[in-house]
Amino acid sequence: MSFLAPLFMLGALAIAAPVIYHLIRRTTRERTVFSSLMFLLPTAPRLTHRSRLEHILLLLLRCLALGLLALGFARPFLRKTAPSAAAAGQSQRIVVLVDVSASMRRAGLWADARERVAAVLRKVTPGDQVAVFTFGRQVSPVVSFEEWRNALPDERPALVATRLAATVPGWEGTHLGNALIRAAEALSDADAELKLAPGPRRIVLVSDLQAGSAFDSLQAYDWPKGLEIQVEPLKARNPTNAGLQLVADSPDADAQAVPAVRVRVSNAADSTREQFRVGWALAEGTEFSGPAVDAYVPPGQSRVMAVPVPANTAGLQRIVLRGDDEDFDNTVYVMPPEKQQLNVAYFGGDAADDTHQPLFFLERALPNNPHLSVKVNVHTPAAALSPVEERDTKLFFVTEALSPGVAAQLREQVLAGKTVVFTPKAAAAAPTLAQLLAINDLGLENVQPANYAMLAEIDFQHPLFAPFADPRYSDFTKIHVWNYRRVKAAAIPGARVLAKFDSGDPALLEIPVGKGRVLALMAGWNPEDSQLAVSSKFVPLLYSMLELGGGLSAQSTQISVGDPIAIAAGTDPVAAVAVGLPDGTTATLPAGAPAFAQTQQPGIYQLNLGSRTLRVAVNLDAAESRTAPLPADQLERYGAPGPQPVVDTAREARREALMQGAEAESRQKLWRWFIAATMAVLLFESALAGWTARRQAGSVTTGGITP
Amino acid sequence: MIASAHSPGLSSTALIDPRALMSIRNLELRARVVVEGFWKGLHRSPYHGFSVEFTEYRQYTPGDDPRYLDWRVYARSDRYFIKKFEDETNLRCHLLVDQSRSMGYGSTGYTKSQYAATLAATLAYFLHLQGDAVGLLTFDEQVREYLPARHRMGHLRQLMHALEKPAGGRATNLTTPIERITGLVRKRGLVAYVSDFLAPIEQLEPSLLALTACGHEVTVFQVLDPAELTLNLEKAAMFEDVESERTIYIDPVLARKEYVPRIEAHCAAVRAMCEKLGISYHRLATDQPLDLALFEFVQGRMRRGRLSRPAARSHA
Repeated sequence: MSFLAPLFMLGALAIAAPVIYHLIRRTTRERTVFSSLMFLLPTAPRLTHRSRLEHILLLLLRCLALGLLALGFARPFLRKTAPSAAAAGQSQRIVVLVDVSASMRRAGLWADARERVAAVLRKVTPGDQVAVFTFGRQVSPVVSFEEWRNALPDERPALVATRLAATVPGWEGTHLGNALIRAAEALSDADAELKLAPGPRRIVLVSDLQAGSAFDSLQAYDWPKGLEIQVEPLKARNPTNAGLQLVADSPDADAQAVPAVRVRVSNAADSTREQFRVGWALAEGTEFSGPAVDAYVPPGQSRVMAVPVPANTAGLQRIVLRGDDEDFDNTVYVMPPEKQQLNVAYFGGDAADDTHQPLFFLERALPNNPHLSVKVNVHTPAAALSPVEERDTKLFFVTEALSPGVAAQLREQVLAGKTVVFTPKAAAAAPTLAQLLAINDLGLENVQPANYAMLAEIDFQHPLFAPFADPRYSDFTKIHVWNYRRVKAAAIPGARVLAKFDSGDPALLEIPVGKGRVLALMAGWNPEDSQLAVSSKFVPLLYSMLELGGGLSAQSTQISVGDPIAIAAGTDPVAAVAVGLPDGTTATLPAGAPAFAQTQQPGIYQLNLGSRTLRVAVNLDAAESRTAPLPADQLERYGAPGPQPVVDTAREARREALMQGAEAESRQKLWRWFIAATMAVLLFESALAGWTARRQAGSVTTGGITP
Repeated sequence: MIASAHSPGLSSTALIDPRALMSIRNLELRARVVVEGFWKGLHRSPYHGFSVEFTEYRQYTPGDDPRYLDWRVYARSDRYFIKKFEDETNLRCHLLVDQSRSMGYGSTGYTKSQYAATLAATLAYFLHLQGDAVGLLTFDEQVREYLPARHRMGHLRQLMHALEKPAGGRATNLTTPIERITGLVRKRGLVAYVSDFLAPIEQLEPSLLALTACGHEVTVFQVLDPAELTLNLEKAAMFEDVESERTIYIDPVLARKEYVPRIEAHCAAVRAMCEKLGISYHRLATDQPLDLALFEFVQGRMRRGRLSRPAARSHA
């Protein structure tokens, strides 16, 4: 029999109490009335001689009750021989995650990290399986389980040290959540791949645990059982770290008297400095080019300030922050966005200022801002496209019947991959649509619903309506339609109905023609037909059309390290693209690749797309500047199996044995029997003591008051 | 009922075993048993009244009561003489009986209080038989009952009845009854003071002095239980003071060594005080025969009478 709380056995020492109690002459039980205590002095209780030990049976019962009680409190259990994993010397699976995010570039941190990894590996037994990963935004293996296994036990730490020595912290953000999940998955996979018996699994996280780490992916993650995360936090030598980030231009940027770039200076919560200077510079370490701005930022706060653009901006691409201990996040690269020019052709006989015609609304709804300018070229139905227009225009709006020559020209454009939005004002335009689609008979008729028609059965899966898929934006019932054209969708081969009227007639069809497409909108947005032009859906719908067919690309010139540089649709290069990296080297983007993903360092990237050069500024992740350490329990808050202190195996074995004992004890509950036995003994003792006392009371006569 | 002799003076006299005596429930009967088995008391009154027994003549002085002029002597001698007689009925005896709680203790099968009541009843009966007036004053921490000294039919029974009342008081105040009796009884007489004197006696001496100064003849009976004198109890126990209810642990075997000298010293102090004041002192253990006490009382009175007679005469 074993005991879960053997210290309670000390309670058995209380057996001495009844023995002493029995040895002491009973004083309190007997009372003698005496005439006067004037001449009496109190005497101390004295022990009787051993031979006068009274009531042996009572004494034994009391001792037995105390002993049983102590045994019960010691929580006895019968140990089943189930050797614990640690006791059996079972091998552990360990993944060492080493942070190589940009914040690890701070002074001394990387050396500390390597030292910490070496210390962890020193405690590893030859039977343990270890893999070492580095992580920033992505997780990369340094030494896999397979490599660890193949290396000789003596050479394994050296292998890891060599590989780590060849690694330097990058410029990426810290996606700690992803890294932990990846490590947990690697541990699970290792069990299956290496065909190992289930054993303890551990993730050792060597990181500076900065506040800017991304954890969000951990929220919904279901951690595997038996996994433990051991955190090896690294402490920076210089607490002060201020960071610099670009702030998006305000809408009224053009209205500024002096052109300026707005930047945010943020200071870490544990910083010791508050005064910084911000200005343009040609290169690292050089003086400011032009006037610098003083920034006063208390620790833990951030300030947004405008840095004026100097008159001579040639070669000026970076804004730097001075006055900070750690300079890894003190530079932002600025690349002013390129203004994209799009051309749209409109075929119709409308006057530009006629508020009852579609053109009036189209010209006002299409955007014209610093990033994008859409020009509407208005054509009469008979006017043909010039060659320049044929080249530059990607989206055509047709509202009236076109002359056969123009219609044929448009069909060629569509076949070449362009998009025509056909929205007839009347059924008379049916021959133009038929010509565009190369169909003989297209029954088109005017319909005027009794009350009004509404849009229904909208295909939110289609890219055109995808922006409205959210239930907050999917209500089209406020757009009333008074006139529309009825077309038989079945009569058009390959037509896809994207929206219907509530009468069941198609409202918007997409008909692929050659490489391009025709979008047939059966009700115009002019006030005679519908309320579409005055609804909130109109402008987003036009944007969707521009994106779908008009060559509008969401090209950004400011991205973070690790983000891919997307190459706009429609400009897909046929040949490989040479990419100029910030460090002066050149990489090659293979032909047909949609984006350049190897943006692993901050700076200006130049993509030679043939007709033009795409210049993109890649900057550090803004969160990387938040270098204050995380609260110790942050990982546990996200449900991670908490950071547990490193324990030696003997202690672990004891703990394991204790856990098993506790489990066995809670299952067996032997203490109940001991307590029950104690109660029984006490009952018997009470009965015996009562009987003894009554018997004595009957026989003892002492002096007293006689009434 | 007959016990062996206890006193050298009564060696030939059979005495009554107090245990047997106390088994008689009626107090008056107990008193009668003691008195009847005793020789008729002999004592003299300190007063010279006008009674049957002529003692002497005395020349008349102005202020004497003219009723007592012996006209025959005047007729014969033409001089005024006053006749003087032995005053046999004018002894006024007051019994002061302690009925405090401490008197309720008894280890012999009866209490000190019962013993003291029997003693007082015996004395009262004895004096009553002699035609003396007997009064009673019972007390504890205050005076409980007072019966003036009388000699009439029924008074003795009333007195017995008062003695039989159970002790109700708690503490003992030894001086209050003396002060009260000093104030109440103007005429000189006999005062028998029955108590265990188990209380501080510092204040007792001035009171007794005042009492004796008034001309009273005082006899003190200190009634104690044998256990109080020797502490011959067996078991260690929590001892509770019957009056203060204070409780302490006492092992008699250990405590006896200290206790006996202390109580003896206390008794000696009482005795010394009595001797100093000319008061006859009798210590009675409750296992002593009562007729012995009566004998000592009478003997003491006779001795005292012989001693005090000349003084009394000159006084008269």
